[in-house]
Amino acid sequence: MPSVCFYFEVHQPMRLNRFSVFNIGNVSDPLPSYFNSNLNKQIFEKVAKKCYLPTNKLLLDLINEFDGKFRISFSLTGTFVEYCERFLPSVLDSFRDLFKTGAVDLIEETYFHSLSSLFDDLDEFTDQVKMHKNMINRIFDYKPQVFRNTEAIYDNRIAKKIEEMGYKGIITEGTEKILGWRSPNFLYKPANANLKVLLRNYSLSDDVGFRFSVRHWPGHPLTADKYAQWMAHCEGDLVNLFLDYETFGEHQWTETGIFDFLRHLPGEVMKHKNLDFVTVSEAINKFEPVGEIDVPWAISWADADRDVSTWLGNDMQIACFNEIKDIGRKVKKMKNKGLLYVWRLLQTSDHLYYVSTKGLGDGDVHAYFSPYDLPYEGFINYMNILQDLKQKVM
Amino acid sequence: MKVAMLGWEYPPFKVGGLGTHCYGLTRSLADKNVSVDFYMPKTKHSIGSDRENLIIKEVGETEIFPYDRPDVKELAGRFFESVYYYNDLLVQKVSGKYDLIHCHDWLTMKAGVALKEKMGIPLVLTVHSTEYDRSGWLNPNDWFINIEKEGMEKADKIIAVSHFTKRVIVDKYGINPDKISVIHNAVYPLGESGKKNIVLFLGRLTIQKGPEFFLKAAKKVLDYEDTRFVVAGIGNMLPRLIDQAIDMGISNKVIFTGKLTEDEVKHIYQISSVYVMPSVSEPFGITALEAISAGTPTIVSKTAGVSEAFRNCLRVDFWDTDELANKIISLLRYDPLRNTLAEHGKREIDLFTWDRVAEKTLEVYHEVA
Repeated sequence: MPSVCFYFEVHQPMRLNRFSVFNIGNVSDPLPSYFNSNLNKQIFEKVAKKCYLPTNKLLLDLINEFDGKFRISFSLTGTFVEYCERFLPSVLDSFRDLFKTGAVDLIEETYFHSLSSLFDDLDEFTDQVKMHKNMINRIFDYKPQVFRNTEAIYDNRIAKKIEEMGYKGIITEGTEKILGWRSPNFLYKPANANLKVLLRNYSLSDDVGFRFSVRHWPGHPLTADKYAQWMAHCEGDLVNLFLDYETFGEHQWTETGIFDFLRHLPGEVMKHKNLDFVTVSEAINKFEPVGEIDVPWAISWADADRDVSTWLGNDMQIACFNEIKDIGRKVKKMKNKGLLYVWRLLQTSDHLYYVSTKGLGDGDVHAYFSPYDLPYEGFINYMNILQDLKQKVM
Repeated sequence: MKVAMLGWEYPPFKVGGLGTHCYGLTRSLADKNVSVDFYMPKTKHSIGSDRENLIIKEVGETEIFPYDRPDVKELAGRFFESVYYYNDLLVQKVSGKYDLIHCHDWLTMKAGVALKEKMGIPLVLTVHSTEYDRSGWLNPNDWFINIEKEGMEKADKIIAVSHFTKRVIVDKYGINPDKISVIHNAVYPLGESGKKNIVLFLGRLTIQKGPEFFLKAAKKVLDYEDTRFVVAGIGNMLPRLIDQAIDMGISNKVIFTGKLTEDEVKHIYQISSVYVMPSVSEPFGITALEAISAGTPTIVSKTAGVSEAFRNCLRVDFWDTDELANKIISLLRYDPLRNTLAEHGKREIDLFTWDRVAEKTLEVYHEVA
């Protein structure tokens, strides 16, 4: 009798301005010089209109219609919340309304959706998790119990730190790399920490996230009753469906029928006596781990490789990552809040994602999400900005 | 299948992509059991074929290059006359049993059309560049345009070296897009050797190729990075470019090589750290593939045909010399960028083979013969 655990990641990066080598050392105010406020506002308003506002409204209606039995979880990044507060507070209000129903749970993560969990020590990571915690507390007056790292990046070291910080659960990818023959539809325990691990059922999640509108996919068209039947036939305690929130209306356009699918899904799921909905906190309270996972090398839910090669897969990405780390050592000594904030905004993993040179299948996904024509352009722009910041912290 | 191909240049005697293309195409066609008689003007160099079913047939002599303008001094006003003379000669000399005629660009189009009618066989035409490209879209000459238009109209099938060129053929010459196939060019990889601190321009020094934008960017780069700029090639803009370099005070950093031999071309590609192709109008741009095959990161004009087909190179608007300088400096400064581009570029080059070009050309042949 599996429970269905829906969780949505809500994130927008602060996209960069075009910054040429001739700008290095020639800008006085980094924040407006590095970040493209107009473009960011435009994109945010567009996505809010196509995805955030209509999907939030639909979910609120569904929760009310099913009397709170339809239950979901969200994680909102710090940069996303800043967008809301700066450009469209009504978006944040609609998340508050959802949370007030009691059928919605919130998940912790790093404030900047960063790769700080891969730094040499975890001080910066800890700081960013605390920033996120304070932000959630300020806006929702709530303390999350479950943590999900940037793009579900996970290894033993991260699990240990999250246990130390007092969380009860952590989310990552249900990949064969760590599971072998075992099913993702159960809770597991890290080999080295006392935590419950929720594993994403990537097959069922990607059916909606990636394949929903793919016509040559045998499952097309994916209807709510078909999907509910697939879940009803799942073995295990719970089915974790973790999706980018922008799937609704942005990655999958309204015309694909994604909203109709979502509208009918709770009803179709509840037609099956053996299915119900849980939030992430309820999942870890309801179920016990059935085995251990041991993850010495970082995994994630990104790309086909399910590791960190999405962000650190080529020399250009590694060079940028090393610059970010080097600048960090200096910026932390300076006690300059403005520069510290800018350095952190530049840590958002999207900037490195745009520099990925992965070919073919994955490359297409990268190209879709990137504001640059080519990863080389992404590198030049990002690296030029890092060089400017580096001069400012010398 | 037996093809009469009307060409103009063939290595080692060549000045442009047309010669390179004919060389790669004819050899790979021969490997696919197509018999090719390649007709071209007699030259001072000895030209041979290493394939049994590929025969080079030299027809008369001519002093015209496919990229010549009617005002070239060497021809002393005999330009048009020389073109007509050579085309007439071709019509007389081409004989035998062929399945089709295949000609390249304007120079042999008249002969191609005449032979099609005389022999009653299909005509395939490859367009490597149009008059609009060669004139840099400034004052295109109607005499060339009319020859091109007639050839395109009479041809049974047209092969364009890029979608960019296909669009020009449709928009400017009013040709039905259904009879145009796009086949991107290829390259025989050159292989790598030790890199030096050199930024390279290589091509005809004409308005079409945008060498003045290269120099403008060079000036901007030199304010920030110490490097050498090499301008390789000859053309009517050479004196003006030398003056430009002197005026900008960068003549000590810019080397004009004049005309290079084939070995020298290969060498300069191999030792350069960056290759720049800032063409105003570039139907394809085989030189970009040559440079990349030598492990040299390459910046090409956004509108160049190669940039629609090849991913692992940088792109700029040819007139945007600030952005061109930004990219040159970034390439010189950031080793990981240079290395990643070189590595991915070489990998992608392997997809651009003459065998593929011949295969697609053969598909076009089969549609008409």
